[in-house]
Amino acid sequence: MSARLEAEHLFKVFGRRPDEAVKRLREGADRAELRADGTTAAVIDASFRVGAGEIFVVMGLSGSGKSTLLRMLNGLLEPTAGSVRFDGQDLTALSDRALRELRSKKISMVFQHFALFPHRSVRDNAAYGLEVQGVPRAERERRADEALALCGLAGWETSWPDELSGGMQQRVGLARALATDADVLLMDESFSALDPLIRRDMQDQLLELQKTLRKTIVFITHDLNEAMRLGDRIAVMRDGRIVQTGTAEDILLRPANDYVASFIQDVDRSRVLTAAAVMDTELRGDEADCGCETAAPDTPFTELCAISARLSHPVAVLDTARTLVGVVPRQRLVGFLGDEPGAPAACDNDGGKVIGRA
Amino acid sequence: MPRIPLGDWVDSGVDWLVDHLSWLFDAVKAVMEGMYDGIDAVLTAPEPLLMAGILAVVAWWLRGLLGGVLAFAGFALVDSLDLWDRAMSTLALVLVATVIALVISIPLGIWAARSKAVSAALRPVLDLLQTMPSMVLLIPAMLFFGLGTAAGVVATLIFALAPGVRMTELGIRQVDAELVEAAEAFGTTPRDILWRVQLPLALPTIMAGVNQVIMLGLSMVVIAGMVGTGGLGGAVNEAIGQLDIGYGFEAGVGIVVLAIYLDRVTGALGTQLSPLGRRAAAKAPTRAWSYRPRPAVAVVGVVVLALVAGGLGIFGSSAGTSEASGTNVGKGEEIRIGYIPWDEGIASTFLWKEILEERGFKVTTTQYAAGPLYTGLATGQLDFQTDSWLPTTHAEYWTKYGKQLDDLGTWYGPTSLELTVPSYVKDVNSLADLKAHASEFDGKIIGIEPSAGMMGLLKDKVLKEYGLEGTYDVVDGSTPAMLAELKRAYARKQPVVVTLWSPHWAYSDYDLKKLKDPKGAWGKGDGVHTLARKGFADDHPQVGAWLKDFSMTEEQLTGLEAQIQKAGKGKEQDAVRTWLRQHPGLIDAWAPVAAEDAGSRAAGVS
Repeated sequence: MSARLEAEHLFKVFGRRPDEAVKRLREGADRAELRADGTTAAVIDASFRVGAGEIFVVMGLSGSGKSTLLRMLNGLLEPTAGSVRFDGQDLTALSDRALRELRSKKISMVFQHFALFPHRSVRDNAAYGLEVQGVPRAERERRADEALALCGLAGWETSWPDELSGGMQQRVGLARALATDADVLLMDESFSALDPLIRRDMQDQLLELQKTLRKTIVFITHDLNEAMRLGDRIAVMRDGRIVQTGTAEDILLRPANDYVASFIQDVDRSRVLTAAAVMDTELRGDEADCGCETAAPDTPFTELCAISARLSHPVAVLDTARTLVGVVPRQRLVGFLGDEPGAPAACDNDGGKVIGRA
Repeated sequence: MPRIPLGDWVDSGVDWLVDHLSWLFDAVKAVMEGMYDGIDAVLTAPEPLLMAGILAVVAWWLRGLLGGVLAFAGFALVDSLDLWDRAMSTLALVLVATVIALVISIPLGIWAARSKAVSAALRPVLDLLQTMPSMVLLIPAMLFFGLGTAAGVVATLIFALAPGVRMTELGIRQVDAELVEAAEAFGTTPRDILWRVQLPLALPTIMAGVNQVIMLGLSMVVIAGMVGTGGLGGAVNEAIGQLDIGYGFEAGVGIVVLAIYLDRVTGALGTQLSPLGRRAAAKAPTRAWSYRPRPAVAVVGVVVLALVAGGLGIFGSSAGTSEASGTNVGKGEEIRIGYIPWDEGIASTFLWKEILEERGFKVTTTQYAAGPLYTGLATGQLDFQTDSWLPTTHAEYWTKYGKQLDDLGTWYGPTSLELTVPSYVKDVNSLADLKAHASEFDGKIIGIEPSAGMMGLLKDKVLKEYGLEGTYDVVDGSTPAMLAELKRAYARKQPVVVTLWSPHWAYSDYDLKKLKDPKGAWGKGDGVHTLARKGFADDHPQVGAWLKDFSMTEEQLTGLEAQIQKAGKGKEQDAVRTWLRQHPGLIDAWAPVAAEDAGSRAAGVS
């Protein structure tokens, strides 16, 4: 997987004498110390790579520096230290004009509060990026209409933003970002302002679009469920630092520290986990021989539970070549749901069945 | 604390500017006057009702049928009050001031919105412009640009500038930061962000600023009237000067009509210009009274009316030709008379206007407040004025400008200054009686402008002579305020003591009693002088000689004043003509065009 976007040791400090602040941060000073001096360290030593066609989610609470980080990726903010490379090109070395060119053609952005221009019709909003590029009117309207249709807004071209619901407005925002054919999308809490149902809808639509468009997407959110649903990989930020980067399963199963662990407590893991994540790989070799129902490594947790309920023995997991790769005992499934990694203790009741009688 | 000579610094700064940058001021003045003349010519070219129609169509287009009808009614009212030319000249002045104010203030506002430093630097300057009493700014404006339109425009402009800058800055700063960021995120250049996002979204606020600029400009018109811009402001000043409530109200109504028209039309223009406003307007249900013609229809309407107006203008202008009388001494030379709206000033000014026109001169008369009148005369922008009370009342002006003026002598006198009570105040007949009756008058003497020579004399000398210091306070105010107080007290038969002078129309309107001055504290009284700019008598020896020899008796003066009073506002010259017809021979006596032309020229030079 080749990296389209690469961030290396990015720092962003607001306030007086930022360079000195970066030096102190490198020496191990933390945010609170700097805040006492009136400087705010928004992003501290952030490094990551985003591969082509990947959805990379940056997750963190408000104030964790994720929006600042995003704005350094398209040069809206200049890093105090470190570098951002887009297709190998260092953004900090680009002139303002080259940066604008890059933003208008290569990297587009979707905003939290939609940021639609209220004085432009839906079509003119979607065509905005093309207008900036200087595309002739007829062509840009055609491409804007296509982008709108892609986002399910065919027929709304001549409406005005304030006539649309929040979800539809954000579809316009998405269409505006897609219309330019930029292959990198930066999405800044793009679905946070929407109702939960609509948010689900938009997430589904984004995943659907992504199947065909294969854009490189950096998605910011404060909602871990959203991060897990959308993200191929997730970076968790806290107080300006990236504390863990990994797939949804990495984070869920191997939280890097207590902070991340506390975060994942209320995550609905049944939606995230797959058979591959929960299966036991110590095999006897004959578990799949009985001809019962089996699962694949990417079978979701909920489906796995359903299969397990129908079987009297652990579920066998076979890969695409029909080779046995793992087995999931029912007790494992229950343990994951209850966040209990240990093995069951032996029952110390003599009667053995007294409890069952009640 | 040491005294900081701030005033001196300003004085010398202004002097330096006048000395070194006069070319710049002249250029600016030429531009402003050119714009003003152009707009005024366009506005006054058609018949008043036709122009009212054109303005009404504009209102119809922008505001709907009701707006159009009301606009027409308003302007028709102005016309029927005989204030049309004045209203159009005021409109032209306000438009010129507004255009210039916007050309300056909108870019400044944009700049301030983009730079905190500029914004911080501009703010105190705007505060100064907006709150510095406008009269204070009027004086340097006069020195830089002379009397008339340019000074008026500048004073209006300065006053009206601040809201334009502030509202533009506010409007741009108010634009949602996320929208600006969105534009940036799509690679928009800063200039395009301004044009495509910030200005369109700030437009409603900016238009509110434009509206404020116009309204402040209109409110400044009255003050600008003091430096001879004429128009409705001049009319209001005249009315104030003569305590003419009715005329003042009429002129005020004229200003109100203009104000409402401009307010509504610019408000609606803001809606039309902004895409959001247009949309909101298009959504609103249309009813008969809010029906608006489409822009094309409106333009056609205006053009047709304008063409009709143009056609009428062509036919109209060929009709009237001026007849030159036989005794053409002036041969069309121009003479500019300035006057203060006092009765004897108006009478003598229009008398000379009539006489000089009879003799073939082209005469313009303009009304000023006393200060600007003297400044204008001293700087040579006026030729002469006939109403200078010397040596006492106008002593301050004479000390300041005397060296730049020629005194062409007295034509009426002596005048007298006095304290006056209504005659129903029984026991008070002399200044000496005042002390005992202080409580009756509440210890107050109603004065006039504190700058008047008479007030100085009263405070420094008269009060002292009669031992009134401490028992009486002199209330500083203005001549109209004094007259209003007199009128009010008179109507209720309350005791009142005012500063007054003779001749004054108050003596014929009210039954008043001049307090005797046994100690002669007021001095001997002034003569009414004619003052001319330096060198006027050399340029126009004949006129100089006439003015030097000019004098009027009390009977003639009061008779002429009564005639003018009877004829009413705006018909002064007709009254003079009537009066001259009743007194044949006076023109020839005052402006002889006898054979000995050479003799009088010699007299004029000496």
